[in-house]
Amino acid sequence: MTRIFLHPIPIRIWHWVNALAFIILILTGAQIKLGNAIHFFSFHTAVKIHSWLGWILVFNYFIWVIYYFSTGNIKIYIPPLNRPVEYAKKALRQAKFYGWGIMVGDENPHHSTFENKFNPMQQVSYLMIMVALIPLQLITGMLLWDPKLFEPIVNIAGGLQIVDLIHVFLWIFFSAFIIVHFYLATLGHTPMAHIIAMFTGYEELHDDHGHGHGHGEEHGHEKEHQDSHGHGESHSH
Amino acid sequence: MLRYAINSTFVKLLRKLSKLTGGYMCKKMVLLMFLLVSFMLCPMYVFAAKAGSAENNKLCLQCHSDKTLTKKLLNKEILSLYIDGGQFAASVHGKISCSGCHIDINMDNHPQSKRIASRRDYALSVSRNCSICHTEAQLNQRQPIHKALAEKGPCIECHGSHYIRPTAINKAGVQENAYCLTCHRNKISMRMKNGETLSVYVDENAFNLSVHAKLQCKDCHAEFSKTQHPVRTFNSRRAYTIAASDLCGKCHKEAAKLYETSVHIEQLKGGNEKAPTCIDCHGDHSVVSTKKDKTIGIVSCNKCHSEMNASYEASMHGKARIKGDEKAPSCASCHNAHNVESAKMTTKIKDGCLRCHKDAAKVHSRWLYNPPVKLSTFSIAHFDAVSCAACHSPGAKRGIYLTPYNRKTGKPLSEDEIMKTLGLESDGLMKKFDSNSNGSIEPKELWNIFAELFKKGEMITFMGNMDVQKATEAHMIGSKAEGVKDCDKCHKPDAELFQNVFVVIKKSDGKPLIIPASKEILNSVYAILPMSKFYVLGSTSIKLLDIIFIIALIGGIAVPIGHISFRIITSPIRALRRMGKGGKK
Repeated sequence: MTRIFLHPIPIRIWHWVNALAFIILILTGAQIKLGNAIHFFSFHTAVKIHSWLGWILVFNYFIWVIYYFSTGNIKIYIPPLNRPVEYAKKALRQAKFYGWGIMVGDENPHHSTFENKFNPMQQVSYLMIMVALIPLQLITGMLLWDPKLFEPIVNIAGGLQIVDLIHVFLWIFFSAFIIVHFYLATLGHTPMAHIIAMFTGYEELHDDHGHGHGHGEEHGHEKEHQDSHGHGESHSH
Repeated sequence: MLRYAINSTFVKLLRKLSKLTGGYMCKKMVLLMFLLVSFMLCPMYVFAAKAGSAENNKLCLQCHSDKTLTKKLLNKEILSLYIDGGQFAASVHGKISCSGCHIDINMDNHPQSKRIASRRDYALSVSRNCSICHTEAQLNQRQPIHKALAEKGPCIECHGSHYIRPTAINKAGVQENAYCLTCHRNKISMRMKNGETLSVYVDENAFNLSVHAKLQCKDCHAEFSKTQHPVRTFNSRRAYTIAASDLCGKCHKEAAKLYETSVHIEQLKGGNEKAPTCIDCHGDHSVVSTKKDKTIGIVSCNKCHSEMNASYEASMHGKARIKGDEKAPSCASCHNAHNVESAKMTTKIKDGCLRCHKDAAKVHSRWLYNPPVKLSTFSIAHFDAVSCAACHSPGAKRGIYLTPYNRKTGKPLSEDEIMKTLGLESDGLMKKFDSNSNGSIEPKELWNIFAELFKKGEMITFMGNMDVQKATEAHMIGSKAEGVKDCDKCHKPDAELFQNVFVVIKKSDGKPLIIPASKEILNSVYAILPMSKFYVLGSTSIKLLDIIFIIALIGGIAVPIGHISFRIITSPIRALRRMGKGGKK
């Protein structure tokens, strides 16, 4: 079995803080918005938790920004714009895999490496999420957190109702996204493979060619990777 | 009187003449002759009366020079009958005999026991005799102000009686105010065009105790002086008071400027003559310094808003004042003294509260804060949309008030402005807002107004605020412990305090037009744009988004369930393939 290093420690910290905060923010958000239907917390407690976690998420976002921009690894999020047709074909192949290939035991067309972690569909969606949707959610959250302090920005946005509209639409999106995201995370070569990798940093690759789904499987020997950044090392088993 | 005495002598003379002519001259002819001769010879007899007056008057003064000579009137007043002969002789009437004016008194019937009701009654009775010489036509011509007097008082009240001096000397000798008071200290009144009479009496004592005691009359009444007294006419007593209030602004410029922005001037300009002016609150000549009179901010307001007094007195503020705390807030403390604000039309009332409760934002931040910090801006955000009374008047019925504002200027739009933009008739706005005439503005109706104004180039936004519904309840401010602290009262779908919604528009007379609205207006998609600046966490969220959220959740769950189901269904295919591969292997 081969272990491939995918997730450096800052990203693992960022990811799990993000994940936990997201879940609680979604729940407290639901409590704030649907107070007559949901009774997890009191409104006051929900707002307190939501505000605290909102700010934690803001600082957490900077871990991601600082890591990816300082190392230059942000490039893993950037689709190859110079090869759009090829990229589209790859994305389509990936979609076909999830829609059909995975059912019939096809090989995952994408093989994750440290430098090429995301498949084309992940790449474009994570790019959107990280550079547009999360910042937008954080900013609108900040405006709602203290509308008086940020009054000029709220006015530019067209009013607090508009700011809230954006925040709520993104809440709806992230609520659905996180479910799908969690499910997709179980589609490794074992249901826990990706999840464990997100804790340890290493994805274990099996040389079982017949096990056709999961990132990087069947080509583990090709992906043996010595972490050039010193975050870890590859192990052959 | 003089002529009467002379004429009666002449009648006797002519009777003798008639007898002498053997009845040749009939009665009519005698009368005609009498009138002719009387007219021709009158000045001569006046002269003769004057010539003889000194002797006659001496006779009268034999008694009337006694300073102790008095008469007790029916109302128990004591009337002095003393005459200073020297002063009388120096007066304009010094050459006229006493009986020239006191025509009813002669040596045959004097002293007699006359029943006189009062000094004023006596003054009125003797003043009638002035008109024997000073006819009304003559007076009106020489000094037209006599004509303006609605009810003519006794002449002697203004002009004096026995010691009248020539007007020029009189004017020169007295100070400005004293000169004015010569007449205005008396109960004189002027007639208005609508038939009302207005007292132009000035209470000298009250004026001397007023804050303006050191001022000259003409400092305020600039058109009037010792030398000029224009005759003015006013439609009504109210019209006079309104006009008179303009005088105050000459000195009190700052207050006048503030008054120009008040709800009272708006009502006045809108045609409500009952709206108060300076005089209505401060009084006229008895104006007292507000530094001394701490009750003016309550007493004057209660003249019109008396229904508010009971709730004010029941409030923390009222109780403190009743206990003697002069610093306890009065009406003016919150509503302002001159730039009076209506709570329904502004959120500025809280400025009044914050003048005393300076640290209100900080105090509220102890529990009303945005973790992880405690910024006062967070409580101020609440203050912006919630009136102090909405939380601090226990038991009051609250409402959400939506006011249309011009989005560009940030100013509230009046009924007139909206009607003008929409080209509506005078009563058309209500119909426009409530197009289905169900007495309540529905979300679609709000949208229609917004869209129609937008098409006409007017971008509006409905700003919302929470306030108590009844003004009387607003004043019943309770203790700190009674304030609303429970977030759920507002921040919850269908929140308790969000059940009553109104659209409120300023009418041309400054009063608010309050139209009930459906509470669904707060959660409708139609409200997103018209009310984009009014947002309350939990209670103004758009209901359609809740449905979208549930659909998204179902969709999010359906994806893995569907995918897993397909994977289960297709697992035999994968098993076969693995077997095939294994076989190959």
